[in-house]
Amino acid sequence: MNILLIDNNDSFTRNLEHLLATAVDEATVHVEPYANLQGLSLEGHDILVVSPGPGATADYPGYARVFDSGKPVLGVCLGMQLINTHFGGSTDRLPGCVHGQAENIVFHDRTVTVARYHSLYCSSVGRELNVTARNFQGVPMALEHRDRPLLGYQFHPESFLTVGGEQFVHHALRFSHLA
Amino acid sequence: MPCVFPISLDPARFDALAEVLAVRHQADLFLSSPGYPGETRSFIGVAPCAELIIEEDTGSEKIKEFAFGPGGPCMGFLSYTYGMSLRGVNSEKKTEFPYGHLKKYRAVVKYDAASEGLHLSGEEKLCRETIQYIELIDNYLNKELKFKPMCSEPEVSLGRAAYEAGVAEILERIRDGWTYQLNLSTRLTWQSHDLDPLALFLELRRDYPAPFYGYVRSGAYGVVSSSPERFIQIKDGQVLSQPIKGTARVVGDESEAYRSLVDSSKECAELSMIVDLIRNDVSANCEYGSVRVEGHKFVFRVDDLLQMYANVRGTLRSDRDCVDLLLDAFPGGSVTGCPKQSSMRIIEELEPHTRDVFCGSLLIIEDERNMDSSIAIRTAVYDDSSGQLDYWAGSGIVIASDPGLEYLETMAKAGKFLQSESK
Repeated sequence: MNILLIDNNDSFTRNLEHLLATAVDEATVHVEPYANLQGLSLEGHDILVVSPGPGATADYPGYARVFDSGKPVLGVCLGMQLINTHFGGSTDRLPGCVHGQAENIVFHDRTVTVARYHSLYCSSVGRELNVTARNFQGVPMALEHRDRPLLGYQFHPESFLTVGGEQFVHHALRFSHLA
Repeated sequence: MPCVFPISLDPARFDALAEVLAVRHQADLFLSSPGYPGETRSFIGVAPCAELIIEEDTGSEKIKEFAFGPGGPCMGFLSYTYGMSLRGVNSEKKTEFPYGHLKKYRAVVKYDAASEGLHLSGEEKLCRETIQYIELIDNYLNKELKFKPMCSEPEVSLGRAAYEAGVAEILERIRDGWTYQLNLSTRLTWQSHDLDPLALFLELRRDYPAPFYGYVRSGAYGVVSSSPERFIQIKDGQVLSQPIKGTARVVGDESEAYRSLVDSSKECAELSMIVDLIRNDVSANCEYGSVRVEGHKFVFRVDDLLQMYANVRGTLRSDRDCVDLLLDAFPGGSVTGCPKQSSMRIIEELEPHTRDVFCGSLLIIEDERNMDSSIAIRTAVYDDSSGQLDYWAGSGIVIASDPGLEYLETMAKAGKFLQSESK
């Protein structure tokens, strides 16, 4: 499987690359910096992964063609917020923001332990997107598009604080009908 | 012809030898005190015979050519300022201090403090001369150190009010998502003509042992490092980084300080963030599936401070070498913040001083798959020509940080220098 990982100048992108490469059989992960997004060919990739990153969605224009490409997309942290923004949702400062802490959430009927690193959150959810996990304060932790293969995780499956990070990659592949 | 001698020497005599070699043969010293998680072999580079002075645009090929070329090991330092150019962070600030300085030597002494075994290699004449020093070493023992005390108040780049204002600004940047954790430092500067930086180094090492002491000459500068922190070790391709985050001062009962450290969600989150950052930084050059965390939230004591750390391990890819990994991971994440490039830009904006070697690394490169390096914290630079002594101290700022407490933690880290200055 060919995976394109777009790096939004983040310091966890290589962790995500290693997670994808180890969770998916015979995966080839190609990492491309955000700076090259304009004009980047999306062809030849089975799934596109949008990395976390500093700043807010408005600082990262140009993702519309990624989300409208028809290809499966997984967005992590900022990546999920970018999907949400694309469908008209909004992002705001999270009161009592959390970095480097693990938390239990319910994800598709199972309790899982996930790492959180975010100052901002999806304060309103875009049209056609379902919130499939929230934390105990109601903050959206996972989004899935109603009929397109687009999903996002607010938490960080690639963190060492997340228990069993591979399961979130496997879920993304099943959701996108790639597994 | 290179020659090799194995000898046994106790630690006090080894330090006396280090001093003699530094005074008579411009030796650079990389000395490790035993009993710490970062404990490693000590190295003395005797009589430098080749050097590479790193400039802003020095590329990895040039560093590899020097480090992996004939005659080794290669020792020296890389400055934080070189890390800024590697990570694409621009600076308007001027500094005369080199971006880095690597050297090779006519002879090298390796010493293992635990077994007291000393190993000498290099040019025969210099090795024989060194053996003569060792035979007469008792003549050099118990000498009065020549460190000249200074009682003047240092000039501080970020005083209490400015440091606290900096922390408040960082908290705003955290709320906007530009950083999760950022290391903010201040610089202390003393005017002290005729200071002997070697004596300062040896006195600190005697009174405040730590695993990564280093004394390196670079032109008019003497780098005096008393770091407790390993950056990256690579041994036959096995990578180990040991980031430190979380500090507790021991006042009376050590177990109380220990609990306050490992039970603090703030201190633990600080370490966790940096562990994820270090995992990322070594991953660029490690085999898939090899990067792992062992011993998260381990604690050791250095001076009157408890420090929390973790072991991040991995396997160097077979098509990469230690310079690839070092330069991709540099500067160490524990002294920048996370995400790294974004945090370094904010540091550059908020700190009025240059960091120079502070938060860079002292390092020893043996070959393509063997090296060791420190994070150059608890580090001073003395300029012989101006008589100026610079020392830096910093602290990791996270959303739960209290500006006043972070200033106190920063000053606690300056403690041993402040104490030795006022002795």
